[in-house]
Amino acid sequence: MLSKSAARTFFLVGTFVCFFAFILLTLDTVRRVPKQTNADQITDSVKLGKKLWEDNNCMGCHTLYGEGAYYAPELTKVYSRRGDAFIRAMLTDPESMYPGERKMVQYHFTDEELDALVNFFKYTDGVDLNGFPPEPDLNTNTVVDESGEVAAIGTRPKVFNQMCLACHALQGQGGAIGPSLDGVGSRMERKDIYNWLKDPISVKKDSMMPKLPLSDEDLTELSTFLSLVKE
Amino acid sequence: MKYQSQKVAYVFFATCMLLLGLQIVYGFIMGFAHMGFDALHNIIPFNAARATHNNLLVAWLLMGFMGAAYYIVPEEADRELVSIKWAYVQWASFVVVAVTAVIGFHFNWWEGRKFLEIPRPLDYLVVVNVLLFIYLIGTTIWKGKRYTTTSIVLFFGLLMAALLYLPGMIPTENQTMDSYWRWWVVHLWVEGVWELIMGGILSYLLIKLTGVDREIIEKWLYIIVGFTFLSGILGTGHHYYYIGTPRYWLMIGGIFSALEPLAFLGMAIYAIGMARKGGRNHPNKNALSWTIGCAVISFVGAGFLGFAHTLPQVNMYTHGTLVTAMHGHMAFWGAYAMLILAIISYSLPIMTGRNTMNGVASGFAFWTSNIGMIAMTLAFAVSGIAQVYLERKMGMDFLTVQKEIQVHFFGLVLAAALFTLGIGVYIYAFIKSGIPTKELGTNPDYH
Ligand code: HEC
Ligand code: HEM
Ligand SMILES: [Fe+2]
Repeated sequence: MLSKSAARTFFLVGTFVCFFAFILLTLDTVRRVPKQTNADQITDSVKLGKKLWEDNNCMGCHTLYGEGAYYAPELTKVYSRRGDAFIRAMLTDPESMYPGERKMVQYHFTDEELDALVNFFKYTDGVDLNGFPPEPDLNTNTVVDESGEVAAIGTRPKVFNQMCLACHALQGQGGAIGPSLDGVGSRMERKDIYNWLKDPISVKKDSMMPKLPLSDEDLTELSTFLSLVKE
Repeated sequence: MKYQSQKVAYVFFATCMLLLGLQIVYGFIMGFAHMGFDALHNIIPFNAARATHNNLLVAWLLMGFMGAAYYIVPEEADRELVSIKWAYVQWASFVVVAVTAVIGFHFNWWEGRKFLEIPRPLDYLVVVNVLLFIYLIGTTIWKGKRYTTTSIVLFFGLLMAALLYLPGMIPTENQTMDSYWRWWVVHLWVEGVWELIMGGILSYLLIKLTGVDREIIEKWLYIIVGFTFLSGILGTGHHYYYIGTPRYWLMIGGIFSALEPLAFLGMAIYAIGMARKGGRNHPNKNALSWTIGCAVISFVGAGFLGFAHTLPQVNMYTHGTLVTAMHGHMAFWGAYAMLILAIISYSLPIMTGRNTMNGVASGFAFWTSNIGMIAMTLAFAVSGIAQVYLERKMGMDFLTVQKEIQVHFFGLVLAAALFTLGIGVYIYAFIKSGIPTKELGTNPDYH
């Protein structure tokens, strides 16, 4: 049977070899990371964004690159998922986009700091994470229904996917905070949809739906799109 | 107990009890927040509760390791600690740093880096403090009459844990490298050098409790820690799959981390084997339960549940979900929390000359806390797996999924209540034991 000194040799040699390999791999990683992570795009504003991200421990609720806490949404791709205006709205007034839902901290960022955080997310969005986060592979929502092409994924206005799906669902995809939008075009006229989106409270006083940061073009595009989503 | 200075351990262990109690309180705050009861949000937002919960854990585990070292090292080295006074200074300064850090978290004073939230100025104080500790332990071993494998493994574990704290301070402006270095600390601690500390403490306990020959126990100790490093060092790669580091980590991290459970399996077989083999019928059954329990539950929590999400194909979907929380809870509990509860159960009766952990109370604390933790792990598992399927596979929105799984947090809180009951009884028995007596070895039964 193995002696104690042989066991010690096994321990020392094994540890040394693995540690040495780990150091070599680390050197190689340090060399390659700048390219894979677009280090040339880390501007001063992105650096400030990272600093704010750390100083406020956003990672204590959110994940970024899948790391952090599991209380709030994963933010690596939030820039393409929600867009500039949505992120700014959340960071200015966290109740603005998901009123009455799970709470985020109310921050008081300056304009420069808001830019920095948005730029930080724009940067993380572009980093090559070897395929993370994964595409939902059981998602069957690409089917086109009777309403024709209009409701198919590719033709939805981008702003619809970014803002509306956060709370509403269409064809089974999206949130369940507000009512489903399936068939909304049969229930409402385009003009009513337009007015509703422009300021929900003016139409229905006790509405939970926030006034979204939408431009005039957004309003026109969305109301046209939704008016075509028939039963 | 042979040496007066071993009693220094008592203040460390007492602090462990206090911090563990507080850690549990913050756990409940988060459990309720997940259920939608977030009345404390304005005073203690989730991220503050979270940082406090994690750092109290790390703080009391480190306190426990230090207490264990102060208890074990004089006996192994066959001499008194070089300075009792400085050991108390080291304890007091550690408490001050930990308390300052935790209070700071409530005032947005931290670094938002998971597990390393302690703000930079305090990091330096931690380093100074740990250096003092290493110095006291190191010189005691150095000046002692004998060098045992157990005390050497324990010492190097503690020394390397201190050194590995440093990479976490490497400045970088790249989020990817930030994570990269952070794992040098967190992973190489829990799946590397802390296992050395664990091996050292378990060996000491097994030598004392089972009466098996030291040579045999220490030989196995080398083999097990050998496996730990063989798999654990390159196993760090399982944190480098999806953070912007090169693709080869998928392969390296996958293969080596898949081997990590072997070290934990070895530890479990070793502990059970030695307990069977040992002829000695030690009266402190409770300490033996915690010792064997530690080896077994660490295999389940770290080895088995770690393996469950360590392959890159699986981790792609579970990364950043509650599945990680499932594993984290049972791994830390089994490997490190139970280890410290074991050494406390063993040493406290010797220090105070009284054993309050006998009979019904001991079994109750052990079984209730373990069953509670297993149930908590199940609740995390169910919610984690549901989250993976609904959010990652079906593409449902984050908050919608959270509503779906809210009910499992009710289960979690119930299980946590059971767990807390067990811990409560343990702490109660700890308090009832009183403080260390003046005389040495008042209770020869428990040596
Ligand atoms: C107390 C926990 C908490 C903290 C701290 C926190 N957030 Fe949030 N955040 C949330 C929650 C919960 C949501 C989900 C929406 C809601 O219910 O408000 C959210 C949503 C967001 C969103 C929108 C995500 C989406 O997919 O719709 C962004 C962007 C965001 N947070 C950025 C940040 C940044 C940047 C910080 C740090 C400065 C931060 N958050 C700190 C809890 C938190
Ligand atoms: C006692 C030993 C261990 C402890 C205390 C422990 C603890 C933890 C903790 C707390 C996390 C969460 C970290 C975070 O999210 O920031 C984690 C992550 C992880 N652990 Fe362990 N662990 C141990 C052993 C293991 C082993 C042996 C394996 C593999 C077989 C393993 C596999 C993993 C993986 C893959 C992750 C990453 C999850 C992710 O981010 O996707 N762990 N561990
Ligand atoms: Fe790990």
